[in-house]
Amino acid sequence: MSESQRKKYSQEEKDSIFDGEFMPHMDSMYNFAFRLTFDEDDAKDLVQDTYLKAYRFINSFEQGTNAKAWLFRILKNSFINEYRKKSKQPAKVDYQEVETFYNSDDVDYQGTTDLRVDSVKDMLGDEISNALNSLAVDFRTVIILCDLEGFTYEEMAKILDIPIGTVRSRLHRARNLLKEKLRSYAQYMGYKTDSEEEEEN
Amino acid sequence: MDKELDKSGQRKLECADVSRCFQLLERIIDGNNIPDSKEIIQEKLAKCQPCFEHFHLEKAIKEAIHTKCTKFCMSEDMKSDIRKKIQEIKLDAR
Repeated sequence: MSESQRKKYSQEEKDSIFDGEFMPHMDSMYNFAFRLTFDEDDAKDLVQDTYLKAYRFINSFEQGTNAKAWLFRILKNSFINEYRKKSKQPAKVDYQEVETFYNSDDVDYQGTTDLRVDSVKDMLGDEISNALNSLAVDFRTVIILCDLEGFTYEEMAKILDIPIGTVRSRLHRARNLLKEKLRSYAQYMGYKTDSEEEEEN
Repeated sequence: MDKELDKSGQRKLECADVSRCFQLLERIIDGNNIPDSKEIIQEKLAKCQPCFEHFHLEKAIKEAIHTKCTKFCMSEDMKSDIRKKIQEIKLDAR
C-alpha cells in the first residue's frame, strides 16, 4: 500500500499504535543505539529522536506490519544522517578493512579458520562484546541486527536499504572479521587454536 | 560438495563447493526457511569436514553473541524523559 493510499489514523488510533506497538521496543532500540554510538547520552538522544520521528510520520506506518523493523530503520537513518554528521569524532571505521571486504557482493568463502568451538564457548561476554565493538560500524550493525536482535535477512534488507544478497555477503564478511578478532584474542589469552595444536604434534 | 564419503568412511577433508555449502549453512543457522534443511545439514555434516567445522563454529559464535553480549537497557529516568517529550509532542499535535 502506498503512503498516498493509506488512510490517516485518528488521534486515538495513533495513540494506540504508538503505545501498543512502538513503546515496547524502547530497550532494544537503546541497545542498538548504544552499540552504534558507545555513549549513553548519544544513545538516548537517538532513541528519543527516533520516537519523535515515529510519531510525526506515524501515517506512513502500516498497522500490523513489523513495528520494530520500522523503528530500527528510522534509528539507523538518524544515526547516519545526523549523529555521524554532528559527532565531533569521526566514525571509527577501519578503511582498509572496508576497502578490502566491502565493495562487492561477491564473497570469497574459504575454509574454516583455526578458531575452535571450545574457545568460543569458553569466552566471556566482555571478550565477545569487545571483538564485536571493534568492527567497523557497518559490519557491527549487521551482526547486531541478525544475532542480537534476531531480524531476518528480509527485515535487515529493509532496515539497511540494501538488497538481500548484500545482507548475506556483508554478514559473512562481518563474521569472518569477527572470527579473526576472536582468534587473535584466543591466542592472546592462551586458548588453544588448531594451528597451535598442529605445531605441537 | 562431494556426495560420497572417502574410501575409509571418514568425512571428506575438502569441500568441492565451499561457497555454495557455506552460504547455505549460514542461511540455515540464521533461521531462513530452507526446504529440507534438517536433511541438508545431516548429510553435509556427516560427509564433509570443512562443512562440519564451519557449521559448528558459526553456530557457536552466533549463540555466544546472542547469549553472552550484554543487552544495554535504558534507565527509568531516561525512559521517563522520553515519555515526557512524546507527551509534549502529542499535546502539540492536538
